[in-house]
Amino acid sequence: MRDRDVIQYCMDSLGERGADKSQVVWKETEKHEINVDNDEISLFRTTYDTQLDLTAIEGNKKGSTSVNKTEKPAVDDAVERVFQLVQTSSEDEAYDIAPKQKPQSFSTGPAQPDPDRMYGLLDDFLTGLDKTYPEIRLIQSVLDFERTTERFVNSNGVDFSTEKGVYHIFLWFASKDGEKTTSFNGIQLSRTELDQDLMELDFLNDSLRESVEHLDARPLEGKFTGDVIIAPQSLVQLVHIYTSLFLGNQALISGTSRLQDKLNEKVASCRLTVHSKPTSEQICDGYFVTPDGFAARDVTLLEDGVLRSFLLDQYGANKTGKERAKTAGGAYVIDAGNQPLDELIGSMDRGLLVNRYSGGYPSSNGDFSGVAKNSFYIEDGELKYPVTEAMVSGNLIDVFREIGGISQERVDLGTAIMPWICSKGVTISGK
Amino acid sequence: MLKAELRQYADLLSDYTELRVQKNTSKRIALIKGNLAQNDQSSSSGVSARVRKGGSWGFASHTEITDGSVKKVVESARDNAEFLDSRLKRGRSAFESTAPESADDFSSDKPRLSQKQVMDFITDIDAHIAKNYPDLADRRISLRSLDMEKSVLNSDGARRYSMVPRTNIRVSLTLSPAGEPVEVSENFGGLGQFEDLFGEPGDLSEGIERIYEHLQKKAEGVHPDAGVKDCILDADLAGILAHEAIGHTTEADMVLGGSVAGNYVGKQVASELITLVDFANTCLGELCPVPIFIDDEGTKAEDVVIIEDGILQKFMHNKDSAQRFEAAPTGNARAYQYSDEPLIRMRNTAILPGESKLEDMISSIEDGYYLMKPSNGQADTTSEFMFGVVLGYEIKNGKLGRAIKDTTISGVAFDVLKTVSMVSDDMSWSNGGFCGKKQMIPVGMGGPAVKCRINIGGR
Repeated sequence: MRDRDVIQYCMDSLGERGADKSQVVWKETEKHEINVDNDEISLFRTTYDTQLDLTAIEGNKKGSTSVNKTEKPAVDDAVERVFQLVQTSSEDEAYDIAPKQKPQSFSTGPAQPDPDRMYGLLDDFLTGLDKTYPEIRLIQSVLDFERTTERFVNSNGVDFSTEKGVYHIFLWFASKDGEKTTSFNGIQLSRTELDQDLMELDFLNDSLRESVEHLDARPLEGKFTGDVIIAPQSLVQLVHIYTSLFLGNQALISGTSRLQDKLNEKVASCRLTVHSKPTSEQICDGYFVTPDGFAARDVTLLEDGVLRSFLLDQYGANKTGKERAKTAGGAYVIDAGNQPLDELIGSMDRGLLVNRYSGGYPSSNGDFSGVAKNSFYIEDGELKYPVTEAMVSGNLIDVFREIGGISQERVDLGTAIMPWICSKGVTISGK
Repeated sequence: MLKAELRQYADLLSDYTELRVQKNTSKRIALIKGNLAQNDQSSSSGVSARVRKGGSWGFASHTEITDGSVKKVVESARDNAEFLDSRLKRGRSAFESTAPESADDFSSDKPRLSQKQVMDFITDIDAHIAKNYPDLADRRISLRSLDMEKSVLNSDGARRYSMVPRTNIRVSLTLSPAGEPVEVSENFGGLGQFEDLFGEPGDLSEGIERIYEHLQKKAEGVHPDAGVKDCILDADLAGILAHEAIGHTTEADMVLGGSVAGNYVGKQVASELITLVDFANTCLGELCPVPIFIDDEGTKAEDVVIIEDGILQKFMHNKDSAQRFEAAPTGNARAYQYSDEPLIRMRNTAILPGESKLEDMISSIEDGYYLMKPSNGQADTTSEFMFGVVLGYEIKNGKLGRAIKDTTISGVAFDVLKTVSMVSDDMSWSNGGFCGKKQMIPVGMGGPAVKCRINIGGR
C-alpha cells in the first residue's frame, strides 16, 4: 500500500475495531552512508526502511506496536496486536492523544544526497590528516545522508507531514606513535550542506591537535577540589542527563526529581540560560512534531538560572498535574557568556579542561563520578599538560549552580549549540 | 522466507557476497509504581546483501522480503561496491573459501503465553513488592525481550539459520531517606523465551528480598574514600572489565585503529592468574548467554583465547581483518538489524575461575571495597576504563562493612590486571548486556570475583 492508503487503512481499522482514540505514524527512511575504518574508506551502504507505529486507546487502556512493513497482511497483524496489548493494559486516565491542531507540512534539508561530494569530502580529509596529523588513526567513522518522510495522524484530526534531509558526520579517532596510544576522541556533527571541507572546521582541528598532544599525557597525581571547564560535547551530554534526571516524565511521575517543586525558582547559576530549540533555524537537525503528536515549539528551560519548564509530555503532564512542555527536549542551545575561553582558563587556579566525560550514569540525586578523557590539567591560569586517569566527581545540580563563567565561543553541533562553561568545586582525583 | 532456502538465490551472488534475511521481534513492558508506563511490541525484518569488490565493500538492504527485493539489494550492494572500487582500486585478494552450515533454534518448545498471561505475571510481581515493601519511594519492573532470527547464505556456500531469543525482567527498588533517592536493581532471565525462563512470579521473591536487603544498607551508605584501593570485583564487574576494557582493545579492527593491545602479543599483560576468553557458544560445558555457531559472514565461530596465564595471545577477527593479519577468521562478525553490516563483535567474554574462596579474598583485605554491581561501562584504545558501580561494601579488617553510595571505578585495564592477586573458584554470567559499537548487539559477560588494586571515585 502507498503511504496515504496505508495510513487511512490503519485509521479505519483501528476505528472499526473499537478504539476510542487512535494514532498512526508512518515513516520512510533512506540512508546513504560511507564508512571509514582504520584510515581507509571501506564501505558504501544504502538502506531503505519503513516504520509504521500504531497506538490505540480504548476504555483508558492503551497499546502500541510498530512494524516495518506496509503490506496488508502485516498491517492487519499489527492492528490485531495493538488490541491484544490494549486488552492487557491497565486502565489509566492519563492515556491520551494530542488534540486537534491545524494540519501542517514541514520541510528541511536537501532531498537527495551528493555521493561524489560525500566521497570527496572524506577522501580529502584522509589526505589532509595524513599530511597534517600523521599520528591520527581514524576508526569507524561515518558520513551519511538520511532522508526521512514522516506523516503523523490521529483520530482527533492531527495531520502533520515532515520531510527532512540531513548529513551526519561522525569522526572517531585516536593517536598512535610507536608504542604510545591515546584515548578515543571524536566529534559528531549534523549539517544540511557539505559546503565546508572537514579540515576547515576549527573545532575538529582543535580535537585532532589535542589528540596528538595526548600522546604525551601523564597520569594526574593526588586529589583536590578544583574547577572544571566543560567543553561543548561534554556539556551537551551533561545537559541531556540533567534534563532526564530532574525534568523528565520518569523522575517527576515517580517523585524522585530534586527539582519537583522548583518551577520558577532559581535552581542554577544566574549565568546559565538553556533552551530547547527543535524548530529553530539555528538547529539543522531538530524536529517539528513531538513523539506524542504536538507541533513542537522552542522553549527556554532555564532562564538566568530560573527553572521555566519541565520536560513532561502529555502523559507525564496528565499524570502529575503539571504543564506539558511544548518541546520533547533535545536541540539544546546554551546562551553564550561574556568571556573568551582563554580568559576562562586564565582565571582558574587549579583544575581540568574536560573535553570528554566518560562516566557512570548519575544516581537519581545527581551524584556523578567519571573519567575526564582527552583532558588537560590547568594551574595558575595555564594549560599545563594532558592528563590520563583523572576522575571528576560531584553533583550535577551543583555543577550548574556553581558556574564561574561561560565562554563567548560556542560550537554548532547541528543537534545543539554549546559554549564552554567553568564550574567550581568539583572533586578531582588521580593516581 | 526466514526458514526457507536461500540457496535459490545463489546464482545472484557473483562477487564475494553475503545475503541475509533477518527478523528482530521485541516486547517491552514497564511498570513504574504500579503505573503501566510502557506496553508495546515491535518487529523489524528485511533482507540485506554485502558485496566485496577488490577489497571495497558495498551494502544495501530493503524491508520487503521478496524475489524482487532480494535481486534489488544484491544489485544495489554490488553498485555500491563498484562505486568505491572504481575510485580506490585496492585489488585485494579473495578470501579463503569455506562453507560451514548450521541450524540453531533456541525458541521455546512450550506453548507461548498470551500477552495477558505475561502482563499478569509482571503485575503480580509489582503487587508482591507493593505489599511487602511499603516503605519504598519507587518501584519499577520492566520486561524486555528480543528474538533475533536470521538466515545467512554467502557466495562460498556457507549457510546458517539461527533463532536466538533473550528475555529479561529487571526489578529496581528505591528508598528515599531524607529526600535523597537510593536505588538497587537486578536483572533476571537471559537466553531463551519467557516460557523457558520464568515459571511463577513467586520464583523471583528471593531475588527481590535480596535487592531490598542491599537497598536498606545502601540507604545508610557512605561515599567511598577516593583513591587507589584493594578491591574485590565481583563476577558482574569482572565480566564488564573483560568485555569493555580488554575485549574491545583486542578486536582486530580496534588493533588496526591503534589499540594498545597491538603492541602486546606474546607479552605479560596480566597476572598469571588471568585467563580471558571470548567464547563462541559453550563455556566449561555450559551453553553461553549468546551462543554463536556460525557468524554473519558465514564463518564457523571459534573460541578466542585472548589472554592465557597472563600472556596476550590472540585477537578477534572477521574475514577482512583476518586476511590483513594473515590469521584465521574467528567468527566474530555480527550484525544487529537486517539493515546493519556485520562488524567484529564480542560474543561471550569472560575471565576463567581460579582457586580462591570469596570469603578468603574478603578476609585478606584490611581496608578496601567489595564491588558487586556495575551500571554502565566505557573503555578505549588505551584500555583505560570507567565503570559505574551501583552496589558495593566497604571491607575493614577483613570484614564487610557499610554499603557505599554510587561511585565509579577507573584505571588502565592492562595495569589493573597485573595487580590481580586472587581469583575465586566460581563464575557467573551477566545475561542482559548489550554492547554499542556503531550498532547495538546482545553480548554475554562473565567471570569469577577478582582481587586487584583499582582507582575508586568518591568524595
